[in-house]
Amino acid sequence: MGAPGRAEAAYSACRVIESRPVGAYRLVSFIAREMAAGARPGQFLMVRRSGPALDPLLPRPMSIHDVESDLVKVLIDPVGKGTLNLAAAGVGDQFNVLGPLGNGFNLEGDGPALLAGGGIGAAPLAYLARQLMDRGREVTCLLGFRSRAQAIAAELFRGVDVHVSTEDGSVGRQGLVSELLSGCIAGLGPGARQAELFACGPDAMLRAVSATALECGVRSQVSVDTHMACGVGACQGCVVETVQGYRRACSEGPVFAAADLKW
Amino acid sequence: MVEVLKTALGPLGLGHPVINASGTFDLLEADEVLRADLMAEFPFAAYVPKTVTMEPRAGNDPPRLFETAAGLLNSIGLANRGIEAFIDEDLPRLAALPVPLIASIAGERTDDYGRCALLLDECDRVDAVELNISCPNVELGGMALGCDPYKTRQATEYARESTSRFLIVKLTPNVTDITSLARAAVEGGADCISVINTVHGMALDPLRLKPALGHVTGGLSGPAIKPVALRAIYMISREVDVPVIGMGGATTAQDVLEFLAAGASVVAIGTASFRDPLLAARLAGELRVLMEQRGFGSVRELIGHAHKE
Repeated sequence: MGAPGRAEAAYSACRVIESRPVGAYRLVSFIAREMAAGARPGQFLMVRRSGPALDPLLPRPMSIHDVESDLVKVLIDPVGKGTLNLAAAGVGDQFNVLGPLGNGFNLEGDGPALLAGGGIGAAPLAYLARQLMDRGREVTCLLGFRSRAQAIAAELFRGVDVHVSTEDGSVGRQGLVSELLSGCIAGLGPGARQAELFACGPDAMLRAVSATALECGVRSQVSVDTHMACGVGACQGCVVETVQGYRRACSEGPVFAAADLKW
Repeated sequence: MVEVLKTALGPLGLGHPVINASGTFDLLEADEVLRADLMAEFPFAAYVPKTVTMEPRAGNDPPRLFETAAGLLNSIGLANRGIEAFIDEDLPRLAALPVPLIASIAGERTDDYGRCALLLDECDRVDAVELNISCPNVELGGMALGCDPYKTRQATEYARESTSRFLIVKLTPNVTDITSLARAAVEGGADCISVINTVHGMALDPLRLKPALGHVTGGLSGPAIKPVALRAIYMISREVDVPVIGMGGATTAQDVLEFLAAGASVVAIGTASFRDPLLAARLAGELRVLMEQRGFGSVRELIGHAHKE
């Protein structure tokens, strides 16, 4: 229960301070000091344009891409109503933002960290990579994209050991990120058993990379992307099936041990 | 709370006429996340937890949500931990809640409503019982039961025999004549009618052109259904002598004002809480301003204004 005197607006009004295209994606920064201070890699925000407009009706979950002093950044693929609405916003536009929400990745452990992103699933991995490196973990980041327009997002991973694959071969290795992962794990040799995979992307990609990891004895944490309404555990709308039954991606995830997911 | 907003629902005294719709606001989950002391400063005038059933229910296959134009389709499927967990674990945690608690129950058969109501009758924390006979997302019971006036009456009678609590029956709009169901519920012993549950609908995934929901069909809520709700409130409040709880797309203080004028005694906020979980904290104050502007000195004066000559 909340401590007395902590009552405050649930959603904070946050202004867009920066919005720029990153290839096919868009990087949007909000001024949000408290959220920036409390955010952990793999957590997300619920974001909706302030005001009475009914379209989009509900906030959208967006993973935290990075945090820099009092800024919280999201990287979005403007394909649906909510993401398009945010991508079209100008500097100074106000959004209602709730967060940081969800469990985030578990950063404990000390073996080599393999990060795998599929498409816009790369978004939460930049902050994750930095935090893991700050903890002295050896980080290798594998990013798979459809084509060059998406792969430009790899530029956001400055100072990180990044390997890119594209489905059309326009950047990096041609193929899927799961194929990059096989090669990467093989390169670790016997050290692979201490390695850990952190992945975010579409379900099919998460299934493929966690299966590849499992074959090599590498355990995986995966961040799932589901439709949400409340973002706070109330509506039961965002569930994923796990070995313990349905679990809410918003309040019990979005990061799950791949071994627990039934897919 | 301000005097002008004070009202009552049967024996329940309310600080204002805005409550939450079942399944859209989880006090025990939300308190921590929203960084607000909701237990002490609860924004609704009464609290309606999510519907519970005799046995735990896992709910429907995901995806369970899809946003439509000014609306939300859901097919949660009454996921809940069962009435025993509700009574043993949730109710004790709600002891300090300063507003009335309205328990919502559902069953697969009409006598399940009697069994659930009997268990709740033992619970001091429960001030009223709402029979959800209108969920569109379950195969047995739910709306299938609530579409039939005979079964509606029977479920209400079973519950009535089992509890002396204020008894509310929540109806589905997915019928030819909703007033006949309201009459059946009142004949069965209902003290109050709540309308509307969600409107049966579906959506296709725009790219795959296949059903967007795992359960194929779902229930539509949100501003898109407000006119459907307004009509149901208007028709039923004219037809029966018990109070009506109005719900279905109410999002603004103006919507609350209109539902009351159409004949609702209390208005429930559902999907709008997903847009803003603390919306209700503002609605009551805004309603007071709208009432002042239009010269309504009390909620009682406003209720059913649309019916008056």
